[in-house]
Amino acid sequence: MGSLRILGKRETRMKPESNPQLYACVHAPEFPLQALRRLRPELHSEALAILEGRPPIETVCSLNTHALKKGTTRGMTRLEAESIDGLRLLARSEECESAARSIFLESAANFSPRMEASCHGTSRSCILDITGTVRLFGPPEMLAERLRTALAAAGFRVSIAVSANFHAARLKAAASRGITVIPPAQEAASLARLPIALLDLAPDHAETFATWGIQTLGALAALPPVELIARLGVHAEELHHLACGSLSHTFQPIEAEFSLKEFMDFETPVDQSDSLLFVAARMIDCLVARASARALSLASLEMHMMLAGGQQYRRIVRPAIPATDRKFLLKLLQLEIAAHPPQAPVQSLTLTAEAGQSSQMQLGLFAPQMPEPSRLDVTIARLKAIAGEDRVGSPVLEDTHRPGSFRMENFSIAGHAAQHAHTASTPCAAPSTQRMVLRRMRPPVPVRVELQAMKPVAFRENERCFKITAAYGPWKTSGNWWSTDGWNAEEWDILAESTDGASIACLLVNSTESDNAEATLHYNLTNWQLEAIYD
Amino acid sequence: MPSATALRLQIEHALERRFPAALTPTPRTIRDCAATGIPAVDKLLDGGFPVGAISEITGPASSGRTSLALSFLAQRSQEERVCAWVDADDTFDPESAAAGGMDLQKLLWIRCRTTSGPANTNSLAHLEQALRATDLLLQAGGFGALVLDLAAAPPENGYRIPLTTWFRFRQAADRTRCSLLVLARSPLAQSSAAVVLECAPACSATRSQTVLTGYSYQLRSGRQRFAPTISGERKPPASTWAASASWEREKRA
Repeated sequence: MGSLRILGKRETRMKPESNPQLYACVHAPEFPLQALRRLRPELHSEALAILEGRPPIETVCSLNTHALKKGTTRGMTRLEAESIDGLRLLARSEECESAARSIFLESAANFSPRMEASCHGTSRSCILDITGTVRLFGPPEMLAERLRTALAAAGFRVSIAVSANFHAARLKAAASRGITVIPPAQEAASLARLPIALLDLAPDHAETFATWGIQTLGALAALPPVELIARLGVHAEELHHLACGSLSHTFQPIEAEFSLKEFMDFETPVDQSDSLLFVAARMIDCLVARASARALSLASLEMHMMLAGGQQYRRIVRPAIPATDRKFLLKLLQLEIAAHPPQAPVQSLTLTAEAGQSSQMQLGLFAPQMPEPSRLDVTIARLKAIAGEDRVGSPVLEDTHRPGSFRMENFSIAGHAAQHAHTASTPCAAPSTQRMVLRRMRPPVPVRVELQAMKPVAFRENERCFKITAAYGPWKTSGNWWSTDGWNAEEWDILAESTDGASIACLLVNSTESDNAEATLHYNLTNWQLEAIYD
Repeated sequence: MPSATALRLQIEHALERRFPAALTPTPRTIRDCAATGIPAVDKLLDGGFPVGAISEITGPASSGRTSLALSFLAQRSQEERVCAWVDADDTFDPESAAAGGMDLQKLLWIRCRTTSGPANTNSLAHLEQALRATDLLLQAGGFGALVLDLAAAPPENGYRIPLTTWFRFRQAADRTRCSLLVLARSPLAQSSAAVVLECAPACSATRSQTVLTGYSYQLRSGRQRFAPTISGERKPPASTWAASASWEREKRA
């Protein structure tokens, strides 16, 4: 008996919990307007109307409550809308809506991975399957509140309805404001007062219902279903179930694409960097918030601007380590724009970020001091603004025998800590003796050289004359003779004394080829150059 | 008979109005210093260049200023510290630096921009850029050593740098624990410099009649602000050191 009881308990535990199905519908009305207004908080108190269509046939497609109060209606032409005082007209932007839509879905996806998107007119809806999320987000009311707060932070004003029926949640969210939670088995009562226009009715059905005096979903639900089907056909059964809040639905989940992208289309071209940065600050805020929600940072930030005249402007800012500091990223952006200003006023701005792992570095107690990565980035950007883009960095020697060849690379300390750990046990071997160091003349200074028996004995640099006390050479060097950037020169290590008694050790280079040697027997006025000074 | 302590107190008390604590040596802060890697110079400087202070290396061309500065940077880079070279006239040679043991990955090189215009105007523009770059790097902090290379700049341009600039550099270097080396033809930082070394060429260390094998340099300490004064010991006022050509090592190997 005892073993049977235990078995019974195990069976009970293994039995999956039967959670009732629950949907939360997030409805964003006037989405074209919300998409444009999202990054511009100063427009929230203004009467706004969005125009779509090609000029001059433009009509109002979306508007806010302030515009409604002023008498604006959907479908109004531009001429009619312009006659309304205090109404601000904006052009509809598909790119802006696309970016806003992905952010809208991404924000909602933080609460449930299963969601379905729907679109009706200028409204956008997203229905989340929130079954079994009570332990994560609390009861449906709390989840809805948090969902609305998250979307408000992303710049969207939404209404939310929670119901056990997919369509009931969708219809209720579209018809109400704020948060509504429909109790189980109360769908019909909750939908009863909603206008029948919410249903996507065929024109003949709408006309029939109008003739019958059916104006609400409650009135439609009260009709006997068999007689309704007999008069209007099979489709009437679906309408009846919709009105009762009992129509079943096969959920078709979509996967929200995670792309850190923000877009802003300006009404008039912007030519001041301050104005541009003001908008960019808001965009960076949104990007940082979205990346932080996934415990990520911004590894790079790409600016893409459409300029007046059809030109494009594209720059990429890469911090040394992924960052979430808005001020720091904005400063990098500002310095980049200051170093490479756009050549024409800006019509639209797109910021695309690449996500990276969070910027946490393990610091060592005994590690030597290093520049703070974020501060170093700003410093290097400022240095580049002072000295030039390609004149700040770390030198890297080229794999060639050409004297003095190197290239500049970006200075980075990101790998130094790891390198320190790697090389701590095997430090680089320092030279046992001190080395003579060259100071290069860039460009080399032409000198007049006096020769005796093909050997330099004196040279003159500008007004200074030097008597050569020792000349070591010639050291002939050549290369790349097969291409246009070949070189062929002879080098001389020179010890000399000037007329005022100063000693100098230098490197003279004669780029004369052997064919011209006869011409350079005594003097060569053009090909001898002071290449470097030993110092 | 009064003891020596009592006698000293009595004398100090008598001279108090004119010379406070006349016979009591003032306590000195022991400054941290970093070795240059050249024994003769380290001996002359009591360990190396001071950390968090300005050191000036002055002298004419071919006096070993750059070799000395690069040797110091190479030592700092061996300690896994990052360094910076602010090059007012774009004369730094990365090949020489690498041959001297400098880890180029740990070196931030700022080549001041060449602008069109008269030579003197260019030189002043380079100088201004170099000073601004130095200021930024010192304020950023984290660099073990920073070289401000004004060795090719005319001295009259260097004298135009206000003393307040050097004072600011000194404060920033002290705060960020950065050794700031200034290469110039003559001393510029005046009282803000903790160390001033005067370099001069000595002779070539020729072992061969066909190849330049090395060069020796003279060194004199013009100023050492934090050097401890020990009675009875006179430091050598000058020193010499030698540098070999980069191919000399390969020959030995």
